[in-house]
Amino acid sequence: MTQLRPDIFDEAAVRLDAVTLRYDASGEILSGIDLALKPGSFSFLTGASGAGKSSLLKLLYLARPPSTGEVSLFGRPTSRLTRDQLSAMRRRIGVVFQEFRLLGHLTAYENAALPLRVMGRKEAQYRTDVEELLAWVGLGERMHKRPETLSGGEQQRVAIARAVVTQPDLLIADEPTGNVDPEMGARLMRLFIELNKRLGTTVIIASHDLGLIRQVEAPVYHLANGLLARTTPEPGKTARRRGDGIEIKAEEE
Amino acid sequence: MKRGETSLLPLEDAREAALFFVVGALCFLAALAALTAKSTYGAARAWTAEVEGEYTVSLSDAAPQDAQAATLLVQSIEGVSGARLLSEAEISALLEPTFGSRGLPADLPVPRLIAITAAPEAGDIGRALTAALETAGYTAAVDSHSAWAGDVRRMLGTARMVAFAIVALLASTAIAVIAFATHAALLARRDIVDVLHIAGARDRFIARLFERRFWLLGLRAGTVGALVALASVALLIAIARSSGNRSGLLPELTLDFPDLAILVITPILAGLASRIAAGVTVMRALKSVM
Repeated sequence: MTQLRPDIFDEAAVRLDAVTLRYDASGEILSGIDLALKPGSFSFLTGASGAGKSSLLKLLYLARPPSTGEVSLFGRPTSRLTRDQLSAMRRRIGVVFQEFRLLGHLTAYENAALPLRVMGRKEAQYRTDVEELLAWVGLGERMHKRPETLSGGEQQRVAIARAVVTQPDLLIADEPTGNVDPEMGARLMRLFIELNKRLGTTVIIASHDLGLIRQVEAPVYHLANGLLARTTPEPGKTARRRGDGIEIKAEEE
Repeated sequence: MKRGETSLLPLEDAREAALFFVVGALCFLAALAALTAKSTYGAARAWTAEVEGEYTVSLSDAAPQDAQAATLLVQSIEGVSGARLLSEAEISALLEPTFGSRGLPADLPVPRLIAITAAPEAGDIGRALTAALETAGYTAAVDSHSAWAGDVRRMLGTARMVAFAIVALLASTAIAVIAFATHAALLARRDIVDVLHIAGARDRFIARLFERRFWLLGLRAGTVGALVALASVALLIAIARSSGNRSGLLPELTLDFPDLAILVITPILAGLASRIAAGVTVMRALKSVM
């Protein structure tokens, strides 16, 4: 087992130490995963369906605790946080769910503004920002429609707007471009890159879309058989993001 | 631009209509029991107040002039504010419900009766009456009606306890039903709760959404239940009176302070119970997730 380098991990935005996850009596979904992502890094997560990508993301957006091991975010081990501290930490995370999870009785605008309402902001303070964001993702005319009247791609854009509306420190997206055409996919990726570059948001995107992954030249983590490995990016396309600070225990074993 | 914020919990008309009916019905029964308890209490006071301070002396084998003398004697006793010898006609009227209008056989001795009213501050003068009459040589029995009044009080006390027990039972049933309904609502709205939770909503924030919803439901259902209960009581009494029932045994229905209190308190209690049940259920359910 490789020793993790403390100097890298102390400053990590995301750090997993020997994390395992199992549901009930079934086998391990995740087996002893170590991972560290620097603040402001941009990474992809790939893996076959059922490999545990969504489970791994759930650990990262604090929807459930690991069976063993430790998940630390922004330098703090989450197992030691109180419920209110966990809530406060979740507010620093934006999540795009694969199945969108929009609230059906709210309009696109209200869905996008949901995290701001949760934070207790007044509508007068955020209305313009939310409207501009929705206009930017191409929903300016349809922001007062309910999700059921929106296409899959439009719902996905609402879900993305909701995830980024608070300008989170960590953005976790599960197949965020799965339902949009390539042009909109590229546009949404530019939004993620912009957040990453301008605001220093740490971005993790789970995706099958190799075309999309190649566009960005970011490190790719591959999940298979409960183990996480960093795949070698194509030669000549990784220079910009070298040294994002990762250690893959699985590769060493 | 849309004004006013949509609730983060969607309305669930069918489910909430059913719950509204159940809570409303429980509140109706609870208010009815409370109104009954209150009326019974009032009636008990009225009935016992009538006989308290009243004594009847029956003189066996007393000639009319002896009875007159005994009446004068009784009037002189301290604490007696009035004493009156009942006439033959009055005694016959008292006996009529038992023996019929033809009266008693002539050879059956009928005691002379003296109706006595004690002064309000006199306390129990039964013993003083007995002692004075015995000293004067009369064979007299003094009835203070205390046995009857005691029976009435005991019976009404039991009725009141039963009514309170029913109110308590209905209230706890309502709370259990609401807790169950909140749990069902929480399960049905797991998707929304999850999204709010992951967006960083604190447990209290999510609990408040359910508390507000169930507070309003309890308040409205309680108001309807209490009003229907009051209307039902009014109707029952009106029907009983119009059909010639003597009102002596019927509680008075006036919209007095206790009635108003029941009307106001029932919905508030229902609302509070709903709110607390919802809050506790949601907080407990949230504790089971990270």
